[in-house]
Amino acid sequence: MRRLYSSLVDGRGFDLCLIGVPLAFLIVLSGLPLVYNVVMSFQAVDMFSLGSFIRPWVGFQNYRELVAQPEFWPIMGHTATFLAASIAGQFLLGFALALFFWLDFPGASWLRGLFLVSWVMPGLVVGAVWNWLLSGDFGVFNFVLRELHVISGNVFWRSDPTFALWSVIIANIWLGTSFNMILLSVGLSSIPADLYEAAELDGAGALTRFWTITLPMMRSTIGALISLGLIFTLQQFDLFAAITSGGPNNASNVAQYWAWDLSFKQYDFAKGAAISVIMIAVVMLASVYYVRSTRHEVRG
Amino acid sequence: MKQIVFSGVNKYYGAFHALKDIDLAIDKGSFVALVGPSGCGKSTLLRSLAGLEKITGGDISIAGEVVTALPPRRRDVAMVFQSYALYPHMTVEENLTYSLKVHGVSKAERKRAAGEVAATTGLSGLLHRYPRELSGGQRQRVAMSRAIIRNPKAFLFDEPLSNLDAALRVHMRKEIRALHDRLGATSVYVTHDQIEAMTMADHVVVMRAGVIEQQGRPLDLYDKPANKFVAGFIGSPAMNFIPATVEEGGRVTVDLGAGPVELAVAVAAPVGARVLIGIRPEHLTLTAPGDGRLVAAVAFTESTGFTTFVSTATTPELMVVETGRRAVASGDRVGLAFDDASVHVFDAETEQRL
Repeated sequence: MRRLYSSLVDGRGFDLCLIGVPLAFLIVLSGLPLVYNVVMSFQAVDMFSLGSFIRPWVGFQNYRELVAQPEFWPIMGHTATFLAASIAGQFLLGFALALFFWLDFPGASWLRGLFLVSWVMPGLVVGAVWNWLLSGDFGVFNFVLRELHVISGNVFWRSDPTFALWSVIIANIWLGTSFNMILLSVGLSSIPADLYEAAELDGAGALTRFWTITLPMMRSTIGALISLGLIFTLQQFDLFAAITSGGPNNASNVAQYWAWDLSFKQYDFAKGAAISVIMIAVVMLASVYYVRSTRHEVRG
Repeated sequence: MKQIVFSGVNKYYGAFHALKDIDLAIDKGSFVALVGPSGCGKSTLLRSLAGLEKITGGDISIAGEVVTALPPRRRDVAMVFQSYALYPHMTVEENLTYSLKVHGVSKAERKRAAGEVAATTGLSGLLHRYPRELSGGQRQRVAMSRAIIRNPKAFLFDEPLSNLDAALRVHMRKEIRALHDRLGATSVYVTHDQIEAMTMADHVVVMRAGVIEQQGRPLDLYDKPANKFVAGFIGSPAMNFIPATVEEGGRVTVDLGAGPVELAVAVAAPVGARVLIGIRPEHLTLTAPGDGRLVAAVAFTESTGFTTFVSTATTPELMVVETGRRAVASGDRVGLAFDDASVHVFDAETEQRL
């Protein structure tokens, strides 16, 4: 009894308590719903069986039906486009900005801080703002493109099937760029300055230094950022809800929005769960990559 | 032939004047140490030579070519950094051959050059390791090999030994000097450690507050310091200074409280001028109280086995270094003997040698 007490106060028991509390929290609020979701994707669920946990087991029936739906592959394609374009846009713009602010001109840190404003804003608000910007007849975006002679007539970004998905991508890039920039700035500033001096003395010009010092030294930061970007982008729901609602005719529908639509609009909870499970698998892979990148930090 | 010439070099950081009219010429093949307390400008001078700092005025030339406006990569100098600045994501071999790769040397040629240099610096077995897998001494060797492989016009060292432990430091001191002699290189070596400067260099440059206080051969600096600062900085433990006043006929007497003692030195200064008498601790010898020229009480003693450091309870406190062990304890009265030829005299106002 006494040993148990001392272990709880200062010892193994105390450590277990410290880990136990957040672990219990995670299990109850994340783990169980996750398991419930996976189980549900293998069951037949309707409005009447929604309240019970024991439901008819149907195996991969939900998945088969899902894949057989005509909109399945287009939506998966949109999801892939959304992921690739958003991550590429956010990363490239973020890296360009991070390099720009790295020059450390007067006021650089202030300006960099201001950029974070976009990331602090709720997705629905950002969506509403971009609704106005992208508006077909009075939008600023069209105005700018027209004045630059990029387009001749108005583009109806949100209702034209060709552009609907891209209107959400543009808003999402705007939303995520600053987060990329901040993480990349941190990565840049952790590269010791004397490495650049050594490389400069070794005869390397600015571009060579970027390719042989900056990029390899940023490898773990970039790996972590891309996998975080993948997770955040797969979570991006608000912008779809605010800008296109997945329309027109699924032209801008993506997996995460479709899952919500199936579950809470069409009340087909089993198929909604099945999509979520597919997304969980993708996110899991990204998480493994993320953990590996952060573990492989190269530091002298 | 002069390999490196600084003429009238000035450097400002905003209003701070870091280098003040530096004139310095370095012979080809010589080993020059820049030494001084931290903040004296020695590193700034070295970095200006490398091109990592832009100088505000004056000119720098390397091997006859004015390089003031050239970027570091066009100056053909190699630098060993205090932190070594090894590329952490590259193996030892890649670190060594980075400069060759940048200059478009073929892969086979790079491999051969790396093998050759590694053999001379004892890195042959480590070529495929990463810097994080090396000890401090090995990293130091990689940093030097990276400089050697380029065969540059000059080697610049920025306190390269300060991250090593004492024993390794003494060893690397000899190794760097031997390497310099073998390569016939021109080396500029920055250090705050006067022992490194004295033991390694052919030519020592003592700096303070952006000014060269004195330069010359190490032993000349020791024997004839140009001012009080150099006298106190070169030599360990530091020189003792006793205030005194010039009397009739240029005579100088010192008084440690036991009566005035006249020194056999003639000082060319007006009567009444205040001066500082400098005597190195190793030039003072302990005697019986009556036999020496000065009498003092012992404040405390420190012995390292081979040498004994004795501090006196006088104003100012004097330090005496004796070889061997002395049976003196604090409170003992001792005599201090010295040769007048080893006495230095400095002006108390200007601190210049008289």
